[in-house]
Amino acid sequence: MALGGIHVSVVGNALTATGTDRDLTIAADTEVVGINDGAVVAPARLLVDVVRSLEPGAVTIESDDDLVEVTASRSHFNLRTFPLDEFPPLDEPSRPSTSLPAHALLDAIRQVVRAASTDDARPLLTGVLITSEGEGIRLVATDSYRLAFCDLPTSNPVLGAAHLLVPARALAELQRVPGISQLVERDEPVTPEGDVDGSPAREGTSGIGVSFGDHDLTFTAGPVRITTRLLDGTYPEYNQLIPPTYPNRLHVGKDSLLDALRRVRLLVRDNTTPVRLSMRQGGVDLTVVSQEIGDASETVDADFDGSDLTVAFNPAYLIDGVEAVPGDEVVVLTTDASKPATVRAAEEARFQYLLMPVRVS
Amino acid sequence: MVEASPPAVGERPREGAGRRRARVVLHVDMDAFFASVEVLDDPRLLGRPVVVGGTGPRGVVAACTYEARVFGVRSAMPMAEARRRCPEAVVLPGRYTRYAEVSGALHLRLGQVTPLVEGIGLDEAFLDVSGACRDTGDGRSLAEALRARIADDLGLACSVGVGRSKLVAKLASVAAKPTVQGAMVLPGPGVVAVEPEEEAGFLRPLPVRALWGVGPATGRRLERLGVRTVADLADLPQGTLERAVGPTAGRLLAGLARGEDQRPVVADRRAKSVGQEETFARDLVDPTVLHRRLVRLVDAATRSLRRAGYAARTVTVKVRFGDFTQVTRSRTLAEPADTPHVLGTVAAELLDEVATRRGVRLLGVSLSGFAGADRARQLRLSLGTGAAERVTVGTPPNAPEAWSAVAAAVDDIRTRFGDAAVVPATLAGSDGGGARRRGEAQWGPSGDGGAGRAEGRGA
Repeated sequence: MALGGIHVSVVGNALTATGTDRDLTIAADTEVVGINDGAVVAPARLLVDVVRSLEPGAVTIESDDDLVEVTASRSHFNLRTFPLDEFPPLDEPSRPSTSLPAHALLDAIRQVVRAASTDDARPLLTGVLITSEGEGIRLVATDSYRLAFCDLPTSNPVLGAAHLLVPARALAELQRVPGISQLVERDEPVTPEGDVDGSPAREGTSGIGVSFGDHDLTFTAGPVRITTRLLDGTYPEYNQLIPPTYPNRLHVGKDSLLDALRRVRLLVRDNTTPVRLSMRQGGVDLTVVSQEIGDASETVDADFDGSDLTVAFNPAYLIDGVEAVPGDEVVVLTTDASKPATVRAAEEARFQYLLMPVRVS
Repeated sequence: MVEASPPAVGERPREGAGRRRARVVLHVDMDAFFASVEVLDDPRLLGRPVVVGGTGPRGVVAACTYEARVFGVRSAMPMAEARRRCPEAVVLPGRYTRYAEVSGALHLRLGQVTPLVEGIGLDEAFLDVSGACRDTGDGRSLAEALRARIADDLGLACSVGVGRSKLVAKLASVAAKPTVQGAMVLPGPGVVAVEPEEEAGFLRPLPVRALWGVGPATGRRLERLGVRTVADLADLPQGTLERAVGPTAGRLLAGLARGEDQRPVVADRRAKSVGQEETFARDLVDPTVLHRRLVRLVDAATRSLRRAGYAARTVTVKVRFGDFTQVTRSRTLAEPADTPHVLGTVAAELLDEVATRRGVRLLGVSLSGFAGADRARQLRLSLGTGAAERVTVGTPPNAPEAWSAVAAAVDDIRTRFGDAAVVPATLAGSDGGGARRRGEAQWGPSGDGGAGRAEGRGA
C-alpha cells in the first residue's frame, strides 16, 4: 500500500523524494525554500501528475498528518496521504566509496544489459555481473542464448576486487535518470583511484558514485541515488564459453549489415524464424524464409576469411549484438552452424557479444 | 464426355483473344489403393476378394478389391458386415508405412508433371496442368501418359479425370473407374476428359449427391423439391433453391450445377495438425489405463510431429464415450513444443478434466498450431549445471532442452532398431502395448484381445 506512495522529506532547504518497491529504491534531491522540516508519504502517481500539470512557477507543498496540499498560482489540490510509518524505513544515504566514469559506465550498461535474461525463473541471469578482469572492470550479462561483456577502460581498486551481481532493472533505471546525459557531458577523465576520498558525488561531480555492502549497492548520479538489492549466487563460469580462436572471420560495415538485417526481419512473424547468414568471399547473403508469409534475401558486401558457411541466428538477438558494437565496422566470428559466434568491433575487443546460432534441420 | 476424341487442342482458346484460357485440372485416383498394394506384394491374392481395414469387432473397411465389391463390400462398411457378405474374403489389417512408401513413389511421378500437385490422402491428387498443357499437349494425352507411367513403374492401376475444375475432374475420375455389374467387374475407361463445351452434358445426368457439398441433409431437402439429378438442380429457379438450402449454399450449388468451381489446386498442402486416436475393443473406465493409452498416443503423435519437422502449440484431447457422445478439450501453449514430455503433460491434464466413468470408446490426441516448418531451435550456451541452474526453482533438470535431447535420441534409436526398440517407461509393462506405429489400427482395433494388448507387440 505504502509502496504506491512517494516519500517526500524536507530538511533545511533540501527536499528528498524517495520511491521504493523494496528491491529497488530511487531517491532524488532538489533544492527548495524550506520553511519547516518534515516528511509525508503521498500517492506517487497522483502527486507527479498534479505537479506536472501545473502552470510554470513556484509550487508550495504543505502537509499535516492526513493531507498534502499542493498550491501553485490559482490551482489548489488536497491529496490524502499514506501513513508515514507504513513506508519502509529509509537508510541514511550511503556515501559513495568510489566512482566510475559516467560515459564509460553508461555505454557499457547500454551494450551489456540487453543480453540479460528477463525470465524470473532464472533469477541469477536477470543480473549484470560487475567483476574484475585483469587490471580492469568488466560488466557481463547473459540470458543463456547470448552473452555480452564489456571492459571499462579504467581500473578501480575498490570495484576491481568485488564480484557484484546487480539486477539489470536497476541499471536500466540508472540509464533513465533525468539529466544523466548532462552528467555524461561533464564527464572528465577519472583518476584510477576514483573518488576514494569519500566525498559524496553530488551534482557537478564527474562520474557515477558507487557504494556497496554485502546485500545492496547504491549508484549516485548527480542528485539521484539508486539503491538496489544485490542478487545472491554464483554467476556461471562464462570464460570457458568463449572460443580462444575462430576459423572464420566476416568483416562488414555495421550500418549496412544492420540495415539489411532490419529489412529481412520484416518477414519474421514469430520468434522461431531465423535469419540465415551465408558467408563467402566478398560478401554475406542474408535470408529469411517465413512459412506462409514469404521470403526475403539481401546481399551485403564484406570481407570474409575462412571456409564458406551458413549460420542461422535469431534476428532480434543478432541485431541486438550488432547495434551494441562501438564503431563503424563489425566483425562476426564463427566456427560452424552450431557453435557460438562472436560479434565485436573490428578494431578492439573491449566489447564482445557471444551468440548461439539457431539450428535449422 | 469424349473417350476417343483425337488428342487435339481442346483446352486451347478456340475463339481467339478475349476468351480466358481454360484451366486444365487432373484428378488422379488410385484404384482400390490399399488392397491393390497388398495384391502387388503378394501375387497369390490376385483375383481374390481382398479387404483391408480394422480386423476387430469394431473395425471398418478401409479398402477392398473389385473382386470383393462384387459381393457388395464397400469401404467404410463395418468389417463384420463385410465378412458376412463375403466370408471367403482375405481380410488384412493394413500396413500404413508400406502404403505411405508407395504413395511417396506416386507423388514423385505426379510432381514430375507439374509442381501444382494437391495430394488428398495417400491415393488421390489434383494436378493443375494448365501450364504443362501449353507446352506438351492437351489434358487427355497428359493423363493417358501419366496413367501408363504409374502402371509401368508402380504396377498399380489408377483412374484419371480431366476437366477445367476440380469438381469436373473429380467426377470424371469416378466415371473412369471400373464398375461392378452383377458378378462382373467391367474395366473402366481409365481416363475420362470432359471438354468445357461437354460439361453440361456430362454433369446433368449425374445424381445431385455427386456434387461436392451436397451431403445427406441437403440431399433430402433437394429431394423434397423433386431434385434428383444435377439437371433438376440446374433447372430449379434460384430463388426456390435459396429458400430451400439458404442463400449462400444456394448460390454455391447453382454454380456447381453449371460446372462452376473456382477452387484452386493448392500445391503441397501442409498438414494443419497431426493426431493419433485409438478405438478400444472394450470401453475403458480405469483412469490409470486411459492415461497409459494416452502416453502411447502422445508418443506416436509427437514422433510424427518431429518427423515432419514441426513443433506444435495446441494440444487437443478427444474422448468418445460408449454412447458415441464426444468431448474435446484443448489448450494452447505459449511456446511451441515437440516432445512427449511437454505435450504429454498438457494432454494428461486435459484428460483429467474429462469425467471418464461412463466408459471410453475412443481416445484421441491431436497437435496443431505448428511453428516453423524448418523447425528452428535456438541453441543455448552451456552455462553448465552450475549455480545458474541450481538457484532456478522448479524447472531444470526437467528443462525442455533436456527432453528435446531425449526425444532426438529416441528418434535415432527407432530409426535404426524399429519403433518398438524404445518406449516410454509407462508403456514398458505387460499391458502397455508398446510403441504405436503410424497408421496402426486406425480403422479400429484388430483381433479381439483385451484393450491393452490389442495391437500385440509388447516392448
